[in-house]
Amino acid sequence: MSKAEILKFKEQVNLASKTTTTITSDFVQYKHMDFLNDDIETSGNLAFKAPGMVKWEYTKPYQYSVIFKENELLINDGGTKSNVDIGSSKMFKKLNELIINSVKGNMFDEVEFNISYFKTDKAYKAVFVTKDKKMSKFIASFELLFNIKDGAVKEVKMIEPSSDFTQIVFSNRVLNSTLSDAVFTN
Amino acid sequence: MEGLSATSVSNLEIVNPYFSNPASDYIYKAKIDIYGRYFGGILIIKKVGDNSHRVVFTTEFGSKIFDFLYEGNTFTKNFMLEDLDKKIIVNTLQKDFKILVSEKVDVERQYRSQKHWVYKMKADNRFNFYFVEKTNNSLERIVNTSKTREKVEILFTSEVNNVAQKIFINHSNMNLTIDLNYFKTE
Repeated sequence: MSKAEILKFKEQVNLASKTTTTITSDFVQYKHMDFLNDDIETSGNLAFKAPGMVKWEYTKPYQYSVIFKENELLINDGGTKSNVDIGSSKMFKKLNELIINSVKGNMFDEVEFNISYFKTDKAYKAVFVTKDKKMSKFIASFELLFNIKDGAVKEVKMIEPSSDFTQIVFSNRVLNSTLSDAVFTN
Repeated sequence: MEGLSATSVSNLEIVNPYFSNPASDYIYKAKIDIYGRYFGGILIIKKVGDNSHRVVFTTEFGSKIFDFLYEGNTFTKNFMLEDLDKKIIVNTLQKDFKILVSEKVDVERQYRSQKHWVYKMKADNRFNFYFVEKTNNSLERIVNTSKTREKVEILFTSEVNNVAQKIFINHSNMNLTIDLNYFKTE
């Protein structure tokens, strides 16, 4: 993408984010590992409320949810409730920050990432390569796909150094519906 | 062991069928409780060669926590999350999953109880006792012991042939349980 196109794309995402107070969406997650016959497919829904509350809820094939709220991570693993260990989910926390920031429009953090931009027929693609050495040991890059029409995130891909990856595809996205804070309690 | 009477050895070799099909991805929802600290995740076991198994544990979001490879008696730690990369953790997990994926084992002694044929075999400087239910011939339990003490117990629940729907691993000498529930993603 040219410099002008990148600027325009960033503006579009910024504009979309300023007017977004809540998001609900379905998602399907594909975990790809080269040695498996099939990707591991899990699915559920996502709720976001500005400025920074997120709930990820898997409903198939098991019940599992995580709520990101300020500095808290609340998990409910099929009825077993606990605070998630940040150590084992640091990458996801980063990903989550990325998604929140993409909604808020300040995701393009050149201090933390080397970012490159691409345009296809249907989507803009931004590729984030972390500058953090510890993180780069288990994550080679993040890829975010955006709708060309409205600048909404439609797909997230986390690629490991081994080239195994986790892909999350969003669908049925609803903006600015009323979302009670009670959604974000465990 | 109590309640066991020695018999002559009728099977020189017994087979753990639960991870024996190279065409299957064995995928489990895992709950690990270690000294009151709780981790959820997904455990993937796959037979990748005649005598080799891959054992990978990821978070629900797909990020890898560990990745082990067993080739005969050779163990390779492909990956371990830095925060958990401690000798005692790696050794314990390595040994547990070694018992789980050992497919063919040589019988040293044989016993019977009311419900089970019990096969004893040497495993390094310990012993494994395989409890095979007499009527349906299914492997229900493996007990790992030192010369004098029970160390690890693995319970299998198998309703469909050769797939362990539930696996429960319990340590007697440390506060560690691993609870596995099989799921199909198709």
